[in-house]
Amino acid sequence: MRAVGDALIFRRTTIGLLGLLVLSPVGLIIYQSFLDGPFFFPTAGFSLSAFAYVFSDPDFYRALWTTLVFAIGLVAIAVPLGAALAFLLTRTDIKGRAWIEPVVLVPMFLSALVLGFGYTVSVGPSGFVSLAVQDVIGFVPWNIYGLPSLIVIGGLSHVPYVYLYVSSGMRNLPADLEEAARTMGAGLPRIAMEVTLPLVLPALVYSAALNFLLAFESFGLPLVLADPSGVLVLTTYLYKLTTLLGVPSYHLMAAVAVLLLIITLPLVAIQRRLLDRSRRYATVGGKGGRPTRVKLGTAGQIAALSLIGLWLLVSVILPISGIAVRAFVDSWGQGVDLLEHLTLANFQQLFKISSLSRGLVNTALIAVFGGAIAVTVYLVVALAGHRNTSLAAVALDYMVLLPRALPGLVIGLAFFWLFLFVPFLSPLRATLVSLLIAYVVVGLSYGLRLIQSTLLQVSPELEEAARTSGASVRRTWTEIVIPIVRPGLFGAWAMIMIIFLREYATGVYLMTSGTEVIGSLIVSLLASGDLATIAALSLISVAFTALGLAVAFRFGAYAK
Amino acid sequence: MLNFLKTNCAAMAFAALSATSALAQATPATYPAGYADLVAAAKKEGKVVVYSPTDSEQANALINAFQKKYPGVAVDYNDLSNTAIYNRVVSEFAARQVGGDVVWSVGLDLQVRLVEDGMAERYASPEASNLPGFAKYKDSAYLTSIEPGVILYNKRLVPAALVPKNLADLTRLLKEHKDVFQGKVASWDPEKSGQGYVAMQDDMRHNPGFWPLMAAFGEAGGKIYSNSGQMREKVVSGEEVIAFYVNGAYAAGWAKANPTLGIVYSDDRTSAVSRAALITKNAPHPNAAKLLIDFMLSQEGQKAMGGAGLPSVRSDVEGVPNFKSLNELANGKLQPIALDATLLDNLDKTKRADFFSRWKQAMRR
Repeated sequence: MRAVGDALIFRRTTIGLLGLLVLSPVGLIIYQSFLDGPFFFPTAGFSLSAFAYVFSDPDFYRALWTTLVFAIGLVAIAVPLGAALAFLLTRTDIKGRAWIEPVVLVPMFLSALVLGFGYTVSVGPSGFVSLAVQDVIGFVPWNIYGLPSLIVIGGLSHVPYVYLYVSSGMRNLPADLEEAARTMGAGLPRIAMEVTLPLVLPALVYSAALNFLLAFESFGLPLVLADPSGVLVLTTYLYKLTTLLGVPSYHLMAAVAVLLLIITLPLVAIQRRLLDRSRRYATVGGKGGRPTRVKLGTAGQIAALSLIGLWLLVSVILPISGIAVRAFVDSWGQGVDLLEHLTLANFQQLFKISSLSRGLVNTALIAVFGGAIAVTVYLVVALAGHRNTSLAAVALDYMVLLPRALPGLVIGLAFFWLFLFVPFLSPLRATLVSLLIAYVVVGLSYGLRLIQSTLLQVSPELEEAARTSGASVRRTWTEIVIPIVRPGLFGAWAMIMIIFLREYATGVYLMTSGTEVIGSLIVSLLASGDLATIAALSLISVAFTALGLAVAFRFGAYAK
Repeated sequence: MLNFLKTNCAAMAFAALSATSALAQATPATYPAGYADLVAAAKKEGKVVVYSPTDSEQANALINAFQKKYPGVAVDYNDLSNTAIYNRVVSEFAARQVGGDVVWSVGLDLQVRLVEDGMAERYASPEASNLPGFAKYKDSAYLTSIEPGVILYNKRLVPAALVPKNLADLTRLLKEHKDVFQGKVASWDPEKSGQGYVAMQDDMRHNPGFWPLMAAFGEAGGKIYSNSGQMREKVVSGEEVIAFYVNGAYAAGWAKANPTLGIVYSDDRTSAVSRAALITKNAPHPNAAKLLIDFMLSQEGQKAMGGAGLPSVRSDVEGVPNFKSLNELANGKLQPIALDATLLDNLDKTKRADFFSRWKQAMRR
């Protein structure tokens, strides 16, 4: 019973344009995977040699297996913890919420590369925490290199993704259901498990699937924590292929990227089917109701706070203290008194070298303004797919996850080629616009899902009421839907800002003199091994994000 | 954002304009008579775009000296990794949108490949006669530095008696003193690092002790990294106690700044890597590019880089580490990797595959 004037033209144009934006880099990569050389070489011909090479390489199977184990382990740790955290912070009267809420997002602030690097300085074999422990008990009871620690650290550092999705769903739940359960004598765990969590099932499923994808795409942590001991995952395997043959072997990279796509697409299908039932969970009805919170009691408070404290210690304090220490010293490790090596030279370096100081400015611009532009784009796209069950909407769902399923390095390379070889795009290559476009595509799945799940919380009856009273689709959206989801939009802006701040892989090929960004600068510094400058840059980027987040929280709180 | 870029560009243009008023320079007598024309043409172009993986600290020394001498020519420096550079050069060439003028890279094999594939412009620099024979290739690419491979170790954790004198010595020590070295030795990951691969290939060709060293390294649970900086970090902290084939140009500076670190120049054979500079085919600023190449190879440019930690490839540059002084440190046995077609073997697929499978076996991976 689709009514006339369902904004079909708007929907189709938007989805079509997005398709062009997403499918051109992905298509280029797929095309490249079926060639035997770079696509721009006249000698390159169609061939399956890239796939033949990959399938005959024992390293590929080893990497695939490790990646699977890593992804499953990561989801198994991140999802329960993230859900518990979201429940505690949105549905209970836990103490100190005001400062815990922003702090739990911190692990997302850092590029995984930096996170891993922070761990080596604090809890690595010569880390200051490890050495202190060794002094007391005589040995270091952990080893941060290898698959087990990669899973634990990966899992803990991905908790915020689950928290963000689940908490933004929980925040809008009315409390009457929980209160009803409480009245019937249900305890806290039972309320959480049987009332609250089922209501946010779509968000849980999203975050589980997304984290699974994130694990497949994860690059920085495996590079720092698994690589030195010879443990490969698919992304580090792909990275190795760029140099393995001496000359960059794009066809091999592309083949691995295509295999990654093939592995992850079924996941998107599952996600979609689960989402189809999501309408059952719409919970913001016509009658409003601010949530009243479940009381924890003293024992509950202590348990909850120590759980959060322990998690924060491991996933925030350890890595950040590592980075902070490294940023202010010129030497560390066994037998080194850190106080003797304090220095500000690492920071002075940033202002002496123009590409680094330009990088700071560009990163701030991309994160703040680029982030706002990105949210606008995502909102438009989300509306185009909102309450739309046509084939175009199905296509949209698949398209969105395509770029996320490809490593940022590969997407960045594809965009570099597009901006180089497509005539009318080439003037943009040396400007921040090229980076912004690539970033918008890379951040698409996060941002869009966040906005979509917020939009889905708006019960259809509100929109139907507006339509029945004669409002156009546009008026319904601008006067009913958007105002309701405004807090969600600010949340999304904060999140996109974070994503853009810590993005590193996408810009590696794309950035050029004048368009440097912190994340990619860190990668190129890593290539030359300038770890002192990396630490200083990372610390500044953490400070940037903390600032951005403070602003966003203020606005967000105001908008509520 | 666009506004910001505009302001930036305007500021750069202004700087270039106001700089042209600075004085003309003296050119050495060996330069051709028409050299002033080249300088004028370069100034008209106004800038030169450089692609290089060289650390900003070293690169800045060169850029500052160049700009002092030729104030009208701005240097647009792009810090990129080896493979990213090669990728950019070949892609831009194919798209007929060459953006880089000078490519200055440690990936010597890739540089020779660019020359062979016709992506480098021929330019016989008037400074070429001052370079040793191994430092120039087909009037197109020139080595600018000498960076010997050294052993880097942690003075606190390696007792003086166990400091190796050369690589053969290291092989023996790794086997005999597992208490000190087991699980704490580092070197290059040749699968990831082009520079490391070049250095290892060279040692494999000339040092019969190469495979025994790799076997001992594998047995000692050696760990591998993709650059010298990471090795430095690990050795400083004591996570590793010793690393070999480390880039000595950087290591000398680190050891000077940090008393924990010691370096050993082998008393046997010392191989040296370098970085090669070339001008791209169809470069947008060809004259400025020539000017920069000449400057890099000149006394003045070599001295500037030498002062910042890139030893001079020439022997007649006083006051900074140069080919001659390093050769003395290396007990007269410094053998730099020559810039020639042998390097192309490094890019041969079959040879690479053979090397890696043998290496993995030795490393027990």
